[in-house]
Amino acid sequence: MKLTRRNFIAAVIGGVAGIQATPLPWKITDDIAIWTQNWPWVPVPSTGEFSDVSSVCNLCPGGCGIAVKKVDERAIKIEGRTDYPVNPGGVCPVGMGGLQLLYDESLRFTGPMKRVGLRGAGQFTEISWGEAFDMVAGRISGLRKKGTPEAIAAVDGNPEGTTVSVLIKRLMRAMGSPNYVRPPSINDTYRMGNLLMQGTLTPMAYDLENSDYVLSFGAGLLEGWGAPGRVMNAWGMWHDGNPAKKKTRIVQVESRASNTASKADMWVAPRPGTDGALALGIAHVIIKSGQYDSRFVSDHSSGFEDGRSLDGVNHIGFKTLVLEKYSPEQVAKITGVSPKTIVSLAKGFVSAKTPVAVYGKGKDSLNGSLYEFMAVQSLNALKGSINRSGGVLLPDPIPLSNLPLLEVDAVASKGLKTPRLDQAGTMRYPFSDSLINNFTEVIKKSSKSPVDTLLVFSANPFFTLPDGGGFKRALEKIPFIVSFSPYRDETANMAELILPDSTYLEKVDDIVWPTGLQYPLYGLSKPVVEPLYNTKNSGDTVIELSRAIDESVGSAFPWENFEEVLQVRAKGLFDAGGGLVSYDPDTPAWQRQTAGNGPKPEYESFDEMWEGIQSGGMWYRPVSSPRSWKGLFNTPSGKFEFSSKLIAQAIENYSNKISKKAALKNMGIAVTDDEACMAHYEAPKTGSDSSVYPLRMLPYEMINLASGWIPSPPFLYKTIFENQLLKDKSFAAINPKTAARYNLKEGALVAVKSPAGEVQVRINLSEGAMPGIVYLPLGFGHTAYDEFLKDKGVNPNNIVQAGQDPISGYPVWWDTPVKIVRV
Amino acid sequence: MKKSNDHGKYKYGMVIDIDKCTGCGTCMVACAAENNVAVRADQSDKERTITWMRLYKISNGKEFPHTEVSYFPRPCMHCDHHPPCVSVCVATATKLDFNTGIVSQIYTRCIGCRYCQAACPYGARYFNWWDVFPQDKGMDRYLTPEVSPRMRGVVEKCTFCHQRLMGAKTLAYAEDRQEIEEGEYVTACTEACPAQAITFGDLNNPEHEVSKLIKHPFTFRLLERIGTDPKVYYHSSRDWIRKLGDNFLPGEYTPVVNKTWAEEEWSTKPGRDEF
Amino acid sequence: MKDPENSPKKSSDRGGDRPPSGFFPRWMNINILAQDVGFFILGLIGASIVGWIVFPAVLYSKHPQPINFNHALHLDSERVDGIEGETKDEKCFSCHSFRDDGTFTGIPKLEKCTECHDDPESPLGETPAEKTFMTKYVANEKEIPWLVYSKQPDCVYFSHIAHVKMGNIDCATCHGDFADNEKLPLYVKNRLTGYSRDIWGKRISGFYWNKKFSDRMKMDDCARCHTEKDQKQNNACFVCHK
Repeated sequence: MKLTRRNFIAAVIGGVAGIQATPLPWKITDDIAIWTQNWPWVPVPSTGEFSDVSSVCNLCPGGCGIAVKKVDERAIKIEGRTDYPVNPGGVCPVGMGGLQLLYDESLRFTGPMKRVGLRGAGQFTEISWGEAFDMVAGRISGLRKKGTPEAIAAVDGNPEGTTVSVLIKRLMRAMGSPNYVRPPSINDTYRMGNLLMQGTLTPMAYDLENSDYVLSFGAGLLEGWGAPGRVMNAWGMWHDGNPAKKKTRIVQVESRASNTASKADMWVAPRPGTDGALALGIAHVIIKSGQYDSRFVSDHSSGFEDGRSLDGVNHIGFKTLVLEKYSPEQVAKITGVSPKTIVSLAKGFVSAKTPVAVYGKGKDSLNGSLYEFMAVQSLNALKGSINRSGGVLLPDPIPLSNLPLLEVDAVASKGLKTPRLDQAGTMRYPFSDSLINNFTEVIKKSSKSPVDTLLVFSANPFFTLPDGGGFKRALEKIPFIVSFSPYRDETANMAELILPDSTYLEKVDDIVWPTGLQYPLYGLSKPVVEPLYNTKNSGDTVIELSRAIDESVGSAFPWENFEEVLQVRAKGLFDAGGGLVSYDPDTPAWQRQTAGNGPKPEYESFDEMWEGIQSGGMWYRPVSSPRSWKGLFNTPSGKFEFSSKLIAQAIENYSNKISKKAALKNMGIAVTDDEACMAHYEAPKTGSDSSVYPLRMLPYEMINLASGWIPSPPFLYKTIFENQLLKDKSFAAINPKTAARYNLKEGALVAVKSPAGEVQVRINLSEGAMPGIVYLPLGFGHTAYDEFLKDKGVNPNNIVQAGQDPISGYPVWWDTPVKIVRV
Repeated sequence: MKKSNDHGKYKYGMVIDIDKCTGCGTCMVACAAENNVAVRADQSDKERTITWMRLYKISNGKEFPHTEVSYFPRPCMHCDHHPPCVSVCVATATKLDFNTGIVSQIYTRCIGCRYCQAACPYGARYFNWWDVFPQDKGMDRYLTPEVSPRMRGVVEKCTFCHQRLMGAKTLAYAEDRQEIEEGEYVTACTEACPAQAITFGDLNNPEHEVSKLIKHPFTFRLLERIGTDPKVYYHSSRDWIRKLGDNFLPGEYTPVVNKTWAEEEWSTKPGRDEF
Repeated sequence: MKDPENSPKKSSDRGGDRPPSGFFPRWMNINILAQDVGFFILGLIGASIVGWIVFPAVLYSKHPQPINFNHALHLDSERVDGIEGETKDEKCFSCHSFRDDGTFTGIPKLEKCTECHDDPESPLGETPAEKTFMTKYVANEKEIPWLVYSKQPDCVYFSHIAHVKMGNIDCATCHGDFADNEKLPLYVKNRLTGYSRDIWGKRISGFYWNKKFSDRMKMDDCARCHTEKDQKQNNACFVCHK
């Protein structure tokens, strides 16, 4: 039989009809639907046992408690800990996004590396740890053999007092170089100010939670100052849903309508850099009205009234200075704040029961001005808010043990005698211990870099220093750079060699006294996950490196590993007696006022304490009640000094060498030596023509962008507004009035030019910006890292032209003259 | 047909205290981390980036130095009355669960027509234009198994972290309880807020804090007058903020003055000093 | 438009030289019709073979489990330490347990097995499966890549505790009775979806008289049970989806 066309059609029809009666079409439709719902490239996260690991966030010196949620071995989320005294439950956005810093492989160095491409290109090839140690140690021991160990320098961005930084300092000493520098921080300003006025060496301790009037001079309370988890929690407490229950008033002094300024009960906007004058204006009103705490002033302070020194010379006191020079009218001229406002601020401050004046400059990752700090601290003194609950507390230093004294060899002792490159601690900068901007300048200006080998720990000065790109140019001159960064940052990209640290979620590390906290706290972060890559805790790296250099340097580190050093130091916590290693959220640490050494310890042996610290991540003493005045102030007068005798001595010492006039000039002081010992206002000297640069540029920090050496987790770019960053352009916020002068509309592309350089940005018309000031966001403009962070916006640090703060020598980064040019 | 959730057993809702909100954005990050939200290289393009919880920056518009800025954190409002997205969904991919008040979104059911996105008055819905995670970076290692990652071509939005409700129930069952307590189920943003500005709970339960807070005269909702009955409430002592919650014609908005609340004596004075 | 005059002519033309068929048009010729029906049925049969036999054979692939696991043996509390309980379910929980947070462990990890099978050198029994298990997995501390019969797509959320503890549903109701199995069945995988055949059910037709819940694990089955048990509120999307 022949198969005709007709037969074929019949069979097909039969087939089609028949197939309907089979499961094929129905099943295949269903399966295709399922197939399209499960593309192989859509990740299916593995599941397993959920657990929480408690640790401490180490992304900023705030040290908030974090609970890391895990599924089997994977970390899946970071949450705030409610059983940690610093931050009852909350963390900042940077800390919240921290897992990306762990798992985003293209941000990280996956093992020790050697540079193969050009400097800055970020091309590296992986080497072994052995090779890496040989290369660094070879270089260093070469320098030591040549007798020039001072040509080794270190930049250390670990917070002061942490065990890693103690080890790095020790390594530098053992090798024989005095050139250990740190990026500036607000803590440097606090430390110096406290030393000069109070003679104390403890970190700043603001008792914010117990205060009923917080007068913040520039501290970005909601921009990430201190421990953000702590401050924001306090903010929530201060704003009870029922205004009748509201006890604390917050006043923010700042030139821009920042989050803190807007959310505060009152915002006062002086010109940038005149906060000190405003504080003195308030002091004037308080003194004039006689409403200051006369008991504190007469019993516990010196330098308030005029006096005569032993050599028979009359000196003016704080009172005279303030009454003469800082009347509300005079201050209004400097600051632009109306006399009426100044009077009302003074009224608010004195009529509060436990007010506190807080000093800061944005977050804590940049320094402030010494005299501004002194002015603000003088306000606290006038109101008697020092050593009083709700004011500034003066707790004992944290009782960590010192490491055994280091005996250096002949090479090292010769090297240590060479002067520091940054001149810190010299007569010109008598109270500074590190001036990285000077360090940069010296290298930049030299024909052959005095630094042969630079070690960079937990820092990205290339990006973070407000120096107009100076550090980058200095790096270009340094022959050999070693970076210990876990991240592929700008500075690391310039390095010859990378000895990568593990990230904060992979290692044990300590946090010593979070910035601004009113009680001593020692935090311990622990590995939440096993190190993902071939990285090493920098603490261990330093110890191993010391042994690789030579026997003499190695003998300075008689410990097996970093954890042992942590324990050696923590021994002091146990010996001091008193201290808690667990926290009950029902009795906040700031509420628990205790006398002396605090509550009875919860442990009986060191091991028990250490175990407690390891599991809870903390050792702390709750807030101490006001302490006995006896021996509280370690100043030459034994009192709080409105007029610092240490400054007077320093000026005198320097004057003995060169003339007094020259001495004052060198120290950056434009007033008489009497005034120089007290808080006073000096207009910054920019040295540029205001007709060429009519505007001022002020970098501003945001809590939702990391501004220090840590890269911002990519998550954070979700929180950035489109008038802060759009595509590759960041925005300069300027007042519409200023913009009108240049005929600029929203979104206009402009170049902001300063004597140090220029950046291209778009214009954001913002009523919250002070007229005449250009505000640039800090944290954008990376030229390193991966596509999430690279080439997005500009880094205002690149055009900062920083003057020097009188006496301290810290960079004055808040006063860069600029002009705007349309592109 | 049942039109709203009046007869459901639970009605989860949220009150956000704008006075406490510090505008830090932790809620946004917590939300993205909790819910496996895609992270793209360019997130400055707000029409493309996905933010279930999003901060809107608002300003009182006054001249310097009387300017104030503030923020509306905006999750999905989980409208209780005819959610506009639900009525338009052709694929029944989004539904209002009458028993919990949560508006669900099933990604595998979504056909990506984006009608719901157009319908939502709050802009709370987002479309996946791309597949999410760069394959070579290892960033899929932090994904949680509790929320299914989305594919290209579907719409997603805030779910009130309903996986946490499931988790809380599972825990309750393990502890031989049928019901969950207040605070056992809260969204990731609620938990993360460092200033405790967000309160979450069952609006049907008069004992829950949220039920008390919504009676407060300072409490308002966004675009309340379009009648979708959102379950996200806001709270502010500042009149200019409350005024921005809806499109008022001149003179239409009545400031909140001197009302009392819950037997506690207080007056609704302006939230901030005027100079 | 058809030309009314031309069309009958054309149709007779098409008849050609064949004898006229009278009243019925030619296509109704019984022989030809029979032929048509024959081919139709042939097509029908062919399609049925393709649909019922070839299709499933092509659609599914069979995979043995990495090693055999003898449920019957392991549930014998006299032979195995740590297996406790009166009912089968209680015995199931000895290994397939709930964690403290209420989540279900599913198939136990190697850690659970090595509670007893702790020494790779000395197996407890004599089966080849145990030998492979010892040498390949225990000795290398490698997890066994079990093929999970009831694995659902990632978008599905299922709380075991809600069903087993609060709903009082036996394990066997959904999973079938595994307790007396001495040999693990083959894992039959759908090549298109990648999921186990057990989700759709063993019958390719998807039809069951007196369907048991262990026959299939599709969404409709979940919904049917919820409805039957007066748990209609649990048919909301966000109860079973994540």
